Order: sequence, then C-alpha cells, then structure tokens
Amino acid sequence: MWPCFKEIANRLFSRKRDLIAFPQVFEQFQALLQNHQRAMEVIADLGEKSGGDYIFDRKYLFDVVHELQDLMLKIVKGLNLIASNRYYELYGVLDRIFLPMEAELRGRLVLTDAPYVIPFRDAPLDSPELTGGKASTLAEIVHKLLLPVPDGFVITSRAYHRFLEYNDLEERIHLLLEEWASGSAELSKVAGQIRYSILAGIIPQDLAREIMKYAQKTGAHWAVRSSGYGEDGELSFAGLHESVMNVPPAQVPEAYKKVLAGLYSPEALTYRLRMGMIGEETAMSVLCQEMIYSRASGVIQTVKLDESDSDCLAIYSSYGLGRTVVEGRTSLDRFVVEKHPPHTIKSQDIGRKDSLVQACPGGGEEEIPVDETMKCRASISEDTINTLARWALSLERYFKRPLEIEWAVDEAETCWILQARRLLVSDHLDRGDEDICESCSLYPILIKDKGVVIHTGVGSGRVYTVRENEDMDDFPEGAVLVSRYTAPWLAAVVPKASAIIAERGSAAGHLATIAREFRVPSLVSVDNATEILSEGMEITLDTHHRLVYSGQVTELLRYELLQSMVFEESAEFRLLRRLLKRIAPLHLIDPQSPDFTPQGCTSVHDLIRFVHEKAIQELMDVPSFLHRFRGAKVWTLASDVPIGLKIIDLGGGVAPEANGDRVSVEDIESLPLKALWTGISLREAWSTEPVAMDFKGLMASLTRNWDGAGGGVMSSGFNLAVITKNYLNLHLRLGYHFNFIDARMHDEPHNNHIYFRFVGGVTDLTRRSRRARVLAQILSSYHFNAVTKGDLVVARLMHLPKKEMELRLQVLGALIGFTRQLDIQLRSDQDIPRFVEDFFNRHAHIAQPLM
Amino acid sequence: MNMNRLRIMVLDDEAIVCKRLRPALEKQGYQVDTFTLSADAMEQIQHVEYDIIITDLKMKGIDGMQLLTEAKRRSPKTELIVITGFATMDTAKESFHKGVFDFIAKPFKLSEIQEAVSRAETKIRGR
Repeated sequence: MWPCFKEIANRLFSRKRDLIAFPQVFEQFQALLQNHQRAMEVIADLGEKSGGDYIFDRKYLFDVVHELQDLMLKIVKGLNLIASNRYYELYGVLDRIFLPMEAELRGRLVLTDAPYVIPFRDAPLDSPELTGGKASTLAEIVHKLLLPVPDGFVITSRAYHRFLEYNDLEERIHLLLEEWASGSAELSKVAGQIRYSILAGIIPQDLAREIMKYAQKTGAHWAVRSSGYGEDGELSFAGLHESVMNVPPAQVPEAYKKVLAGLYSPEALTYRLRMGMIGEETAMSVLCQEMIYSRASGVIQTVKLDESDSDCLAIYSSYGLGRTVVEGRTSLDRFVVEKHPPHTIKSQDIGRKDSLVQACPGGGEEEIPVDETMKCRASISEDTINTLARWALSLERYFKRPLEIEWAVDEAETCWILQARRLLVSDHLDRGDEDICESCSLYPILIKDKGVVIHTGVGSGRVYTVRENEDMDDFPEGAVLVSRYTAPWLAAVVPKASAIIAERGSAAGHLATIAREFRVPSLVSVDNATEILSEGMEITLDTHHRLVYSGQVTELLRYELLQSMVFEESAEFRLLRRLLKRIAPLHLIDPQSPDFTPQGCTSVHDLIRFVHEKAIQELMDVPSFLHRFRGAKVWTLASDVPIGLKIIDLGGGVAPEANGDRVSVEDIESLPLKALWTGISLREAWSTEPVAMDFKGLMASLTRNWDGAGGGVMSSGFNLAVITKNYLNLHLRLGYHFNFIDARMHDEPHNNHIYFRFVGGVTDLTRRSRRARVLAQILSSYHFNAVTKGDLVVARLMHLPKKEMELRLQVLGALIGFTRQLDIQLRSDQDIPRFVEDFFNRHAHIAQPLM
Repeated sequence: MNMNRLRIMVLDDEAIVCKRLRPALEKQGYQVDTFTLSADAMEQIQHVEYDIIITDLKMKGIDGMQLLTEAKRRSPKTELIVITGFATMDTAKESFHKGVFDFIAKPFKLSEIQEAVSRAETKIRGR
C-alpha cells in the first residue's frame, strides 16, 4: 500500500522548495501536533489494552495499527510541508516500521526469516511458536525476574521444519499419524516408525553448522531438552523421554535428533491426542542448557496436590542430578513450607536416599550408591529451602499459575532454576466448592470503586509506602507498593511488588508500562491511598472489582491462581505485545545523539519523536522565521520586565480591546504566555545575590546585550512569541542564554505539552554544564523529562491537567531568571545541590505543590 | 452456594472474548456457557432457556442478529446484550429495535459488561 502514498506525496510536494508563509507553517504545525497527539493517544490506548482491563479481539488490533499508519503518514507529510520536503526518506522509514506489523497481523509468525539457532539470552519473549514454551518461559524468568537459569541456546522450530523438509519427513509423519488417529494403525507401531525415521534422518549442513557454532562455544557439556509449543505455552508431560543429559559438544546434533524422536513416544502422542493437538502443525524447538553438576536437585510444587496445608508449597529433593526425583527412583526428602513470609518449614520428611545419578566425565550419566552417612540426612539446607521458596513464589506471582519448578544446587551451593511449567491440578482442587463472592464478603473493604486499573489481577502483601528519598533496596519481596506519585524511579521495585497502589498516575504513564511488563496488578489515581493504607498493614488488591481488602484474602488468591484465565498468555495479548514492541519503545531520547536520524527510528514512537523535534527545529530556524513573517501584525509587550517581547497572535492570544502596537500583560489572553510571564515577573526570580541595583536597572544590564544591538525585534529576531489562546511558541534570548519554549495548555490534559530548550552562557563549558544539571534537577522534580548534553538542556512534559501546566510554566519563567548568571557562581560540582535547594527556598510557593 | 444463579450464554467467534468473559462473570456468581460457533449456540437455545445472552453481531454463518431474533422469539424474557467491533448507529438502532437490552462496542472494559449484566439481572429479578 505504501508505494501509492509515495506517489501522492510526490505530486503534493512537487519540486517546490520555497518557504511557505508562517501562518500556513503554523497551521501545518498545529495539524502535525494534533496528529502527533492522536498518535500518542492511540499508543497509550494500546498500552492500556495490554493491562488486561479491556476485552479486545484481533479486529481491534487491525483497526488500531491501520489508524496509526494513517496518522503517521499525515505526520510525515506535515513535516515535509513545513520543511520543504527535506525529510522525504521518512516515507521509507514508515514502510520499514509498518510492513513487519502487517505481517504479524496476517499470520501467526513469519518463520522464514527466523534463525535456526538463537542464544538463550536473546530469545524473544513473546514468540513461543519459535522457541517453544519451555525456552520462552525460562527466558522470561531470566529477563523479568532476574533469577539464575543455566545459559545456553535454542534450536528453533524453524530448524525443526528445515530438518523435516530436508528428509522428506513432513508428509510421512502426517500420514502415519492419520492412520493412528483413524484407528487403522497401532500406537506403538506408529510411534516406533516415526521415531526411527527421525533418528535415521540427516541434519542438513547449514543447520548442523549453526548448532555446532553454539555447542562448541564454551566447551561445556549440555542438557538437551525439548521445548514444545502447546496452546497453553507448555506441554505438561514431565518426563525424561525428551531430555538428554550431559552431552559433549560434538554429540549435540545426535542428541537433538533423540529429543525430537522422543516427542513421538507413545505417551507423548497420547497426550497430544487428548489435548486435541495431533492435527495441528507441530512446532518443536529444543533447548540446550549448560550442564549444572548438581549436588542436590529436585522439584517444587507451588500448590500442594493433596488438600492439606493449602497455604503451603512442597519442595522435593534428593542428591545428584534431577532424574532421581522426577523418575521417583529413590525415596525423597519432602519439605512443606509456608507460602507466607518468613516461609517457615511446616513439616519435613527425610527419605532414605540409597542412590544418586551423576554426570560421567566423558558424557552421559551413571547411578551410584549414596555414602552411608549421607543417606538419611536432609539433602538441602534451610537456607536453600528458603531461597527456593522465595523464588517459587515470585515465579508463581509472575506466571499466575500453580507451577512445577525443577531446580538444582551445585557444589558451590548456588541455586539454579532448570525449568518451570504449569502444575496440573486435579478438578476437585480446581473447582472449589466455596462461593467466592461469599468468602470475600467476610473481609473488611478498605477502598472501593476508586482509581484506574493499569494492570489487571489480584495481589496481596504488606503495605510498603515509598517516599522520594526512601532507600529502594529495602523494599521487601512481595510487598504492596503504595506511593503518592507514579514517578519513573519507582520502576526499580516493581518486579518485587505483589501489587501497586498509587494516589496519582494514569494508564498511560511510565509506571503503567513497567507494571504491565512485570504483570503486577496495579491501581492508580486512588485518592488518599497513603492515608488509608498504613505501613505494614496486610491487604489484598482485586482490580477486577477495584477493591482493596484488609487482610490476605486467601480464598480469592487461590481462586485466581486455580481458575481465572491468565490473559497475558493468550495469543491476542502476545500479538499485542509484539506489536507494541514495534510501536511504543522510545529509543531516540537525545536529539544530540548521532543516532537521531531517520535511520535511527526503529519504532513508531521514535518516528513521532523525530518528527516533533525536527518540526520544532524548523520553527526555531530564525532566518526563515523572519522571512515568513513579512506583513504580519506584531505587538510589543509592555511589562516591568523589559525584555521587549514581540508577539504575533494567531487567534485569541490578545484581548480584542487591545489596540495600537503595544499590549499590556493584562491584555494577554494566551494561557501559556500568561503563566510563563507570571513566573518571569517574580521579583525574586531575578536576583541571585542581594539586589544591589534596582529592578529595572538590573534588567537593563541584563538585556543590554541584544537590546543594544538596536534595530527592533525583527532584526534581532530572538524575542518573539507566537501565540493563540492555548498555545505558545517562544524564542527568548537573555544575554548569552537562549531559551525556547513550545507549549500547549488546554482543558483536556491529553492536548497539553511543554517543550523547553535552554543553551548558552558566558563561562567555560564545565560551569555551563553544571548549570544545565541544576536546571535538569529542578525540572525533574516537576516531573519534566529532562536530558542534558554539555550546556544544553532539553525538557519535555506531556498530558498534565491545565492547572499543573500553569504551575510548570511559572516555574520555567522563574528558572529563566534564576539561571541568568548561575553558571558564573557554580564553581564546583558541590554547588549544584545548594543551588537547587536555593531555587526551592526562593520560590516556596511554587515548590509547595511538590511537597 | 447460591442455587438461584442466572444462566448466561456468551457467543463470540473470537475465543479470547469467551475465555475472558467466563471467569469474570462466574466470579460475579453467574452460570456461564460460552460458544464460538453461532450454529452451536443456535442449537443450544432450542433446548436451553437463558436468562441473558451476550452475543457478537458479525460472525461466519448465522450472524448475531439472526440468533437474537430467534432467541427473543423462543423466549421473550431472555435479556440480550450485543457486543460488537463494528458499532454503527444503524446496527445499534436495529439491535434496540429487536429488543436488545444493551449494546456495547468492542473493545470494552470488563467493568462495562459486568455493569450491563448487573442491570439486566436487576430487571429480571424485578419481574
């Protein structure tokens, strides 16, 4: 579809490179901002949908991507109109970003481009079709929960298809399976034939090369395991048909075939038939993990399969490699541990462990007797039990399912997670008899029908209130994060939290993105949360009904764990997350970076950011600016602050009564300019030392630099505001400082933004950089996204309510004065906090709302 | 256990909608059957009288409008809630003309459908 857009674009732009007049540029810029706004809303909307509070289907995803495509085309077109077609290559960028999304929307997965082998650390998290359920789950454990999993690589489902195709096996397997499913052939015969065909198959050169490249990398031996892909993201036959342990590098290709063959064992086939997965296209991946030579190993079940101790988990353990435990070769140690901190061991049965399985030096395993003195000892320490219990709970909290986790402890007593899968729970446990509505009604309700859901779910724990200066390292695992703000720095504790409740924040904020990434049930915009929920109090959040209960509602937690659908795992949510990855991340943060180019745009958000920055730069291009203003009506602002600001009103910015050439501050009706000027006019803003001169004198000396240049504003050009009722575009030069502000201030917060750029000064770069840091620190505490580069500060802020925008524009006004000679006084880095402090002291009334 | 649970049918050819609505409504105390094929749902309403039917409109084979016409014909007391990704004034009008209780555009919040069902329940219990 894109080539035709290019044609239209061609025709529209022709070869005209003349500057178009400012009112038109401004119109284009406004339209661009509106589309920009809409695109950001669509992105925020998509993000919100990934929080689980909405029900959507594939059609919705189609519609949204197409709307976004449409908006982005308009945005790129808008920039090209403003910039006389200098950003033509952005049309190519649009193609590069949107074509793969089209492919995602059309098919399940574009396997043809996928690699045969992927290092485990780089495995994509949302493509279990490619890497299989097991590898995908483990990759999530590594990336999201930061728990130790042996390193390795995945031989993908594409490799499996390549193998079948090379050996003409696809059709053969299909026919054999059909014979069995229709009853005309016996299971054992069919399974035997398929396995024989696979073992006799030849691994094509290109695939074998790739496998060996990774297998030989470290010299380690490998545990080669199947990583099948099923509807639930796991095949639950926990057996060893599909694992080959302690494989030397050279034998990995053979082991790979063995594992593939194992997937056609009679048991595996029966299981897949029962799950209705026989007719489907199989996607078999194989995971190769570095071998852990375990001293002890075993399995954790996060829900006890008998009905006793429903608030406990069970850890099974024995010496040596895990085969002993999984195959039940010897009696085991069994520890029943409370799920509730501090994870007390409720009971333990130490089995008599007669034998263990260990790895042989040349590869393979052997079974040997256990030393007599060790036989009846506990195979793991209390510390290990505690570690395993904590890990199991954070896994269960993240995956929201009862889990069966295989673990190992090596000779250095380091714990490892080998794999995790859904624990199948029998129906009588699953369908509890209690009425969940009635059980919940026994708990007192602390908060009801308040707030905005940013990630759906149920979470319980003790309240831990985080304030700005709190040491985040103290945040206890599994606590409920309660906060007034949803500041970005809270992100560090999100993975540890069982739930989040904040007084401020929105579904579009940064914290929302993080909460979704770590699947933490979260409710924001809850009035008085920090007062209602006191420190250490045990609570349960249920976002489905926007309720906070006092106490741990165990019945509800269990119900969720056993019965509710894990929406995060559904195909639609995975597709949404894959799309979001191409849409939402912002990589182009720093406009000064060499990557800030069309080529550097890798997401829709990047492209939006790039266009916005370039459009603003076009407006900052002073010579063309002036050129564009010929014939426009220009006002001069009459004010105590003798900056001599020139104003161009494009509608509603100046009171209709105003006449002549001069306009008083009272006649300014542009909301952002009014707010900014209030800040600029603060008397205390202009003195950094006791005031020796009178105000006007001070200002005169300050502004002499450019005012003295004479010739009126149109020749100096810098002190110019283009305004409407809700908009301000300001160029302001004070001494050697250059300020640029672009701001919108509407009733509807979604339309609001402030863009602030500050650069320049008379001292050396070191001092000017210090000043930039002072500015950035002050701006950050007002929730600006501020970045510095040398003496340049770029600060952005979006979507705050009108009142808050007003405060921030006042702050900018005050800062413009405050920073005047700041660089001269910043003699060392130690001065930075002092001046930040000084600003807040000086402007207590502006700082008040932050307290 | 509440023996007087209302019976709800959910019909949507997108399985995700059924999968998510079922637990949400069950937790509210309803008995829920879900269908992704409209022919199966049509067959079901020949035997079972539902208190509430929640259906998509645009589906392969028998569309939602046909199903709800039939449902209303067989059991005028059944309350119907339409969920659709193609919400237009015309379809909304036609739905209400057919006696539909509520009309919800996809995507929707869980709470929206829960509220609609609660209101339908109030109406049913008030009879």
